Amino acid sequence: MDNASHLGVVLDLSPKQWHLAAQPSNPHPITLVASLSHLLAFLNAHIACKDENSLALFGALPGKSVMLYSSTMPVNEEEIQPADANTYRPFKVMDSTIMKHIVSEVEALGEPEVEEPIGFVGALTKAMCYINRVTNGSTSSTSRNDDLATLPDPRILVISVSPDQSSSYIPVMNLIFSAQKLKVTIDVCKIFGGESVFLQQAAHLTGGSYIDIDRPDAILQYLMMSFLPPPGLRQLISVPTQDKIDFRAACFCHKNIVDIGFVCSVCLSIFCQPVPVCSTCRTKFPIKTLQRLNASRPNAAPGSAGTPARSSTPARTATPAISANSLPRSTSINPAAVPRVVSNGSAPATSSPMQNGEPR
Amino acid sequence: MPSVQQASTDSATASEAPSHLLLAFLQSQSQNTLTRLYQRPSSCLSIFRLLGPLERQIVMNLLWLESSIPASTMATWVPHEVRKTYENSLSILSRLHILPQSAVKLALNPTFKTSLRHAIIGGGSSGSFGVPATRDEKHSSPSIEVLDAYALERWETILHYMVSSGIATRPSQGVLFLLQRSGLMASIHGGSLQITSLGFQFLLHSPHAQLWELLLQYLHMVEERQMDLVEVLSFLFMLSTMELGREYSVEHLSPTQTAMLEDLRDYGIIWQRRATSKRFCPTRLATTLTSSSPPLPAAGGVSASAHGQGFIILETNYRLYAYTDNPLQIAVLNLFVTLKSRYPNLVVGAITRESVKKALTNGITADQASRQIISYLTTHAHPQMRKNKPLLPVTVQDQIRLWELEKNRMKSQEGYLYTAFASQADYEYVLNYAKQLGVVLWESSGRRCFFGTLEGHPNIRGFIERRTAGNA
Amino acid sequence: MPPRRTNDDYMGGQSDSDVSMLDEDELTSRVKAKGKGKATEGRKGDKGKSKVKEQPYAWEASYTRTWETVQEDEAGSLHTAVRDLIAKGRRRRLLAPAEAVRRTIIRHLILVLDLSSSMMDRDMRPTRFDLMLQYAREFIAEWFDQNPLGQIGIVGMRGGIGERIGEMSGNPQDVLRSIAERHKLEPVGEPSLQNAIEMARSSMSHLPTNSSREITIIFGSLTTCDPGNIHDTLDECVKDKIRISLVALAAEMKICRELCVKTGGQFGVALNEGHFKDLLFELIPPPAQRALTRANGPGAANPAADLIMMGFPTRLPVTSQPSLCVCHGELKSEGFLCPRCLAKVCDVPTDCDICGLMIVSSPHLARSYHHLFPVKPYTPITNLDDATSLSATCYGCSVPFQEKVLQPNVPLVDGISPLGRYRCPECEHDFCTECDVFIHDVLHCCPGCGK
Repeated sequence: MDNASHLGVVLDLSPKQWHLAAQPSNPHPITLVASLSHLLAFLNAHIACKDENSLALFGALPGKSVMLYSSTMPVNEEEIQPADANTYRPFKVMDSTIMKHIVSEVEALGEPEVEEPIGFVGALTKAMCYINRVTNGSTSSTSRNDDLATLPDPRILVISVSPDQSSSYIPVMNLIFSAQKLKVTIDVCKIFGGESVFLQQAAHLTGGSYIDIDRPDAILQYLMMSFLPPPGLRQLISVPTQDKIDFRAACFCHKNIVDIGFVCSVCLSIFCQPVPVCSTCRTKFPIKTLQRLNASRPNAAPGSAGTPARSSTPARTATPAISANSLPRSTSINPAAVPRVVSNGSAPATSSPMQNGEPR
Repeated sequence: MPSVQQASTDSATASEAPSHLLLAFLQSQSQNTLTRLYQRPSSCLSIFRLLGPLERQIVMNLLWLESSIPASTMATWVPHEVRKTYENSLSILSRLHILPQSAVKLALNPTFKTSLRHAIIGGGSSGSFGVPATRDEKHSSPSIEVLDAYALERWETILHYMVSSGIATRPSQGVLFLLQRSGLMASIHGGSLQITSLGFQFLLHSPHAQLWELLLQYLHMVEERQMDLVEVLSFLFMLSTMELGREYSVEHLSPTQTAMLEDLRDYGIIWQRRATSKRFCPTRLATTLTSSSPPLPAAGGVSASAHGQGFIILETNYRLYAYTDNPLQIAVLNLFVTLKSRYPNLVVGAITRESVKKALTNGITADQASRQIISYLTTHAHPQMRKNKPLLPVTVQDQIRLWELEKNRMKSQEGYLYTAFASQADYEYVLNYAKQLGVVLWESSGRRCFFGTLEGHPNIRGFIERRTAGNA
Repeated sequence: MPPRRTNDDYMGGQSDSDVSMLDEDELTSRVKAKGKGKATEGRKGDKGKSKVKEQPYAWEASYTRTWETVQEDEAGSLHTAVRDLIAKGRRRRLLAPAEAVRRTIIRHLILVLDLSSSMMDRDMRPTRFDLMLQYAREFIAEWFDQNPLGQIGIVGMRGGIGERIGEMSGNPQDVLRSIAERHKLEPVGEPSLQNAIEMARSSMSHLPTNSSREITIIFGSLTTCDPGNIHDTLDECVKDKIRISLVALAAEMKICRELCVKTGGQFGVALNEGHFKDLLFELIPPPAQRALTRANGPGAANPAADLIMMGFPTRLPVTSQPSLCVCHGELKSEGFLCPRCLAKVCDVPTDCDICGLMIVSSPHLARSYHHLFPVKPYTPITNLDDATSLSATCYGCSVPFQEKVLQPNVPLVDGISPLGRYRCPECEHDFCTECDVFIHDVLHCCPGCGK
């Protein structure tokens, strides 16, 4: 059990989100600098636990992703302050390298780039590539088994401050499955920016923990208790896990995050509204199904009055006219009431049970 | 002898004892000593690394808390099935005085807490990580290869001396004294030093364990040499946190520590250009003291890769191929293998009944011999062997165990044979008495004789004499 | 990718068999494959025939010296040969068909393993039991690869009863773990087909209507020890649209064939180790459409492609307030909330018992998306003409590239870059060989494009 472990850290460095997080109007404002000092102490603690523990830190910046530090990185002696007697040298080297890289990357950001979406997927992908490389990337195939034995449970810690980007649904899912394949645990530390549906799923599916930090001033304690123990140790001393996991998906057509979707039975593409032709595999769907589905679009949640609907679904305005709505699988609705052509989603509002003309 | 004894007791009560030899030693020290030791961040960091994984996590959970927390709160994080492991960890920590003895509230020893915090986030002014020497104008600092070669040469000299039973190059007097004190070698009839059974066991251990065994022995000698244990320990820990290939200044060392330089130089733990040099370099032996990466560099030459990865191939027909040209490794193998032929980078031999018995008589103690031989073969197995499951051929493993049992087949015991009793009644009368004393080892009423232990003899003899006297 | 029997399979499966053994196996199974293709013409379609066509008989194949194709380079190392192998992998990938994969339906399978004493027979090496476990593991891994939405449960037959070994699960690791420990599955006693099928049937009763329900049985015994009339069980299975397939290791039994024929499954008797694997692996690809319509019963309008409404639930933690679940009526704290009616169900995928919505978690669907949006093949970089603009490290793993050319005079073969450098056509970043293979085979997501 007492094996060396590898920790990959993906650090969200979105300037916009960190700016919002530091606003004094927040109940618990937290600045990037403050959290970085906590993070560095955590990284030092990881190395302190075992000399052979390895580390790789990736930063997600607007529009790009960079590797900030890795244990195998060559040390540039000139840039580091000379050794002194009061600090453990590896810690000092690591801390100053990380800080230097973060500062130079953040300063290099121009005004236009700040608006670009954060390169979160890229950073996570790189972390996976790195793990793949260190676990079985050695050139000779004979030593492959040995290497696997030395890195039994690699894990990735995601430190996130940004909300979900729905466009990254498929890549994130692919990453989750590759992580499962490589037996990589993904932990998520959410400092700011609302719940992340995708990261919740990532942590759940890889056996990691997702923690929404509500006291950002105590990040360090959260990090130490929840993310320091390697997966093998978590059987001995448990770590907090998330409570609710949202299994929602993003639709392919509008990148909305939906809780009820329409799925092509051939390629399993998800759509937020009934479509006549699957945009991914070009399968034509039978017109009868479309009529039936349009008729049974979810209008309200029956039997759950007072429960707020999750906001990301298309607006639900109840039509009391069609009572059959509450029987979704019913095919008893008069087909005449449904428009023949629903291809562009702009059906005549008068006769259609589809109340909301979604934007195309 | 204590160090090796501790090793065996450790393995016997593995669940109770801490994972590292040194921790057992530290536990036997007074709270005062430990607290002084904990004042130095480098010592705290090293001790922290020697702890087991669960202990480390408990320390980390508590390290950043300002106040103590109830023990029950902490215990809720532990699943019920592993509660025992957890409590064992707590008791290890409290015996090290890192946690308080009475565990209603958990909080780290304040000295330990401050120092470990300093180690992790920096700060403080203890200078416990070693003061680097200023750049030397005349000599550039030694390369890592030089240091590795030096450490290897010193260390193998010691081991080779042991294997060759005093024929090879003699290490320094200090080392010889240490070997003798630790019981690894002994001089027979005042002559040259001979390896003891403990020494044989020692040779089969991993270099890391060997190093610690010697150092522990060194620590045991500290007090009679009038040295301060805390100074010695903290110097060792300081060495373990130093950077390989960097030169450090001797100026800030205490007199005790300066005195230690010479000893450690002999073991190959530190390197100095001259004995009077004002600077020293830790070698890989030193910097890996608290880690589990290999403490000795590759042996160089053909076996460079073999050394790190293992070099032994063992076949089901007991033949053994060792890809090595290292005299030390060959000598160790020679302890329990009949070597047949030798090539520039390959030694071929076979494990035979004779060779194993030779090893057993040489003193690899009976109850652990097979385990040690097998574990040596396992740790040094060639990468190609690692594909096998199980790694070593089962036939060979079993046979080694059987050979060991064979040795235990006969047990000799000294004693006296009582024979030529005048009558059956006489015989039974004496035998009855001997049985009451519980000293009978063997009896044969047909032949009217029995065998008693050495201890029982005076009583039995007295009894017979009294009886014959009474009869007469 | 239907499993093809190749020599590789043999080498991997039983490396200890010598050459003559191999040929013999090959031979018999070829003959069988041919005969079988005839016997079960209707169900198997052209599969058996195409296999025969593809691979000549062993004695017809030209004699290849495989060891001679491996060449040492000047330095005497095998690096070149290894690189060649990688190249072949790359080429295969580039040539792979690009059309969307048809994965019709959500499959549910109960794998029934015979754990009766007859499995200790040594007619298959090392024993029937060990071979079955080994193939079952390979089967499960391959099955999940091809049926990402599927779920497998495992039931054992021993001591005259059915024994639940692994709960229905969509996670290959969970399923594999349940049969990982050999000593827990030690064969004993008589098997009971009826008990096992009843157990399998009951564990599939909650499944959604438009998913398939299948039972695959590996059967080594020649007897079954049943408490009632097994034909009643068979009728129930037909009614529940459960498809039973059976691979027998000993001989054909009437009831076994009947189980398969009546429910639309496949039946086969394994001749030897290799044939056993063939029969088992033929059950991996999703069932043919015809069998499916039949399983859904006559008159059910279930065209090939359809749009299905699905709900994505919220999972409640173990620590939440306990409440009654709608499927069993038990008080539980964990569960999944139907997004439409907020009813609590115990497990997904399922049909909501209240509003009838099909509930799946999004990872169930997402497992096959990499087929839909593959990463574009990277182009190998052959020369360092514009050396200034080249990055020094791989964009994926940040490991520095080799400076020098590995083999200076080798022309571009099989899409291999002599520099070990591959460039994404979209984001124009360079990647090393390891990352190239990893990104295309596992990740399916380019670090540069984020797609």
